[in-house]
Amino acid sequence: MDSIELQKDSAFINALETAISKEGPFSNWELFSMAFQAELTTSSPSFNGLRALEYLPHVNFLDHQTDVAEQAIEKMNGRAILADEVGLGKTIEAGLILKEYMIRGLVKNALILVPASLVNQWVKELNEKFYIPAVAHRKNYSWKENPIIISSLDTAKRSPNREEIIDTEYDFILIDEAHKLKNHKTKNYQFVRAIKKKYCLLLTATPVQNRLIEIFNLITILRPGHLGNYDSFIEKYGKDRSKLEQDPYLKQLIQKVMIRNTRKATKLTESKRMIETLWIDFPDKAREVYDDLVNTTIAFSTFSKITYLREICSSREACYMSLSKISEHENNAAVLKPLLSKIEELPHHIKAEKAVELIKSIGDEKVIIFTEYRATQYFLQWYLQQHGISSVPFRGGFKRGKKDWMKQLFKDHAQVLIATEAGGEGINLQFCSHLINYDLPWNPMRLEQRIGRIHRFGQEKDVHIYNLVIRNTIEEHILTLLYEKINLFEKVIGNLDDILAELNISSIESEMESIYNESTSAGEVRIKLNNLSSIIQGAKNDSTAETEERLYGNY
Amino acid sequence: MAITNLNEFLTDYFTAKDCEIISNHDGVIQIQLNEQMDRELMNRPFYWHYIKKIGRTGDPMQLTLITNPKQRDAKGDWIHFGSPRLQQIMNHLKEKEKFTKLFQLIHATEKTPLHPWLVVNFKISYQGQHKKDEIISIGLHLVNGMMKLDMMNLLRKFSLQTTISDYCFTLSPMIKIKSGYIRMETVLSNYIEEQEHTWAKKSLELLQEEIQTLQHFYQDDLESEQMKKEQDELTKRYHPKVTLDVINGGIVYLEQHAL
Repeated sequence: MDSIELQKDSAFINALETAISKEGPFSNWELFSMAFQAELTTSSPSFNGLRALEYLPHVNFLDHQTDVAEQAIEKMNGRAILADEVGLGKTIEAGLILKEYMIRGLVKNALILVPASLVNQWVKELNEKFYIPAVAHRKNYSWKENPIIISSLDTAKRSPNREEIIDTEYDFILIDEAHKLKNHKTKNYQFVRAIKKKYCLLLTATPVQNRLIEIFNLITILRPGHLGNYDSFIEKYGKDRSKLEQDPYLKQLIQKVMIRNTRKATKLTESKRMIETLWIDFPDKAREVYDDLVNTTIAFSTFSKITYLREICSSREACYMSLSKISEHENNAAVLKPLLSKIEELPHHIKAEKAVELIKSIGDEKVIIFTEYRATQYFLQWYLQQHGISSVPFRGGFKRGKKDWMKQLFKDHAQVLIATEAGGEGINLQFCSHLINYDLPWNPMRLEQRIGRIHRFGQEKDVHIYNLVIRNTIEEHILTLLYEKINLFEKVIGNLDDILAELNISSIESEMESIYNESTSAGEVRIKLNNLSSIIQGAKNDSTAETEERLYGNY
Repeated sequence: MAITNLNEFLTDYFTAKDCEIISNHDGVIQIQLNEQMDRELMNRPFYWHYIKKIGRTGDPMQLTLITNPKQRDAKGDWIHFGSPRLQQIMNHLKEKEKFTKLFQLIHATEKTPLHPWLVVNFKISYQGQHKKDEIISIGLHLVNGMMKLDMMNLLRKFSLQTTISDYCFTLSPMIKIKSGYIRMETVLSNYIEEQEHTWAKKSLELLQEEIQTLQHFYQDDLESEQMKKEQDELTKRYHPKVTLDVINGGIVYLEQHAL
């Protein structure tokens, strides 16, 4: 065939002639034939199939993961959106694809752009799991120093990094959390489109959040024109996402560049969530303080009053700290003084006692305790130590290195990790399967993030979640009205975000704050919370995973 | 001839590199490296720099390699096809063992001529939408022009060494090494041309399709930089090409009717 270009090896024969004229150096038969064997072993005799699997015998890939890798390489020719639901292992799929390309010699340099908080984790995963020598980008180092570089999009798009990157021809680009590129007018988007690339993977669990144009924009990064041009797309599909459901042709087109597995479809024999709420009664003294707080005449806003109530349910310390702060600069000193001294006199918090009992009954296994309050965290650390239980603290504010270090300490030495913030920090603790909600956050997303730390891909055991709730307090409100109603605990990480977006609720927290602020009685709060949870529940039933699947699933 | 027994491959390798195999039980090999191999494998240039500076000989390290997966928890490197250590060794081999000159071992009592063969191992890579490799080993008799395929396999039946045996002498080639090499290249070019290249046709079709999609997207702006960039990327990704690389090669002297 004429159009095939044949590239010959022009260097070898001259080098051989030189070696002969100089009498060597020559290899002996053993080493000469071993070099040949090595080449035979590493070459890829077939166009198809994943060679990488032979190279990674220590990784147990799940069927859907190898399927995704094969599909992305063989059907989509290396440009794809990997859109599996959270927790199905998109990182693993992407690593497998990159590895395959590297083994076949098709990728020599790669740029991997991920959220700043995940850079180290990606470096670790690619190196340890895939033996891909990826390094994190460091300030003042050239982008060309290492062939496989991991960085955050924010760093990469800043000058002079931007110019250096745009100047380079990359064999492989990967962007994690690619839904950040849904808007074609942003700097991020234009930057990514300007990068010269051969293969490109976009990873996101939420390829369409609001409007269909988002998926158009993502696909345009991979295959401009695949969905037509911008104007024709807008004209045909408008801006809403429901069209996706109605148009099988569009869905088919999207499936040519996007792979999405759902938990249901993969039939992942996932670990279960075992939820147990431990009801606790305040001892008399503490009850008295709580009631005093409820009935206090000080005119703090309803919302901050709620805050103090929540705090006293968590620890004396948390509440004491907040109250003593306001007793300093407001005219409340007279009322607060007796209250504060009452708090001072309280014995250890009943919850701490219960927590210790619980941890001891769990035995030697690792436990994570989540609390909303820093003061509670300090107190608990001390209290556990008094009872011979080793623990390490964890906060969102820790630097990356310190987080890794704490995680390691927890894994290797301590029994308990006491955390104030789960955040989208991407710290994965699958080696632990017990979680204590020492107090409950108001934002269900935060609760989901808490649970997501341990209930995620790679968790082999059932996950036990314990809620410590004090009866007849604000905690009971939150638990029964909000969480139990919407079955949040049983639900798997997923589309709550979408539901909230659909309902135009930007944040549950502020929604609740306004409920508390605008209500005049406990009864009113109850009714309004009830309404809120019914709305969420209703929306959830409409737009559950099945809809998602109908929208853009593969099955 | 691909590596099937890693344990054997590794012991052969370190023996060939003059390192002592201290023990080899149940898939756990313990090796005493020599200085050269320590420098090549252990990645500690500062140590060697320092040691040489103070005029000492240095202590090469020992290496424990585990080829039995059941022993993978033992202390040492677990070696499998993807393990970094094996990759390192294979890369060293490919990089360093490029050229050879070998003589058949013969117990001769009278003058015996040895005939020169040019042996070259090629790797052909076919790359379009996807990629595959083919490995071809060729031998060319540099006196009579006879060509043999699967040469490496044929050579396995001889004892080959780097020095010539007693009473043996080598015949001068009638065909220059370079001309011999060009003959091989021509044969391979023909071989490649005569193949059915459905893979390449498919890749070209795909490339055309993709370019059309692209043009549709940029219909108002066909000359734009971005369009050129995208088209460039497509060409790089799909345009079929075949590369012919030499793995290694050299001269092997054999008895007259050896092959």
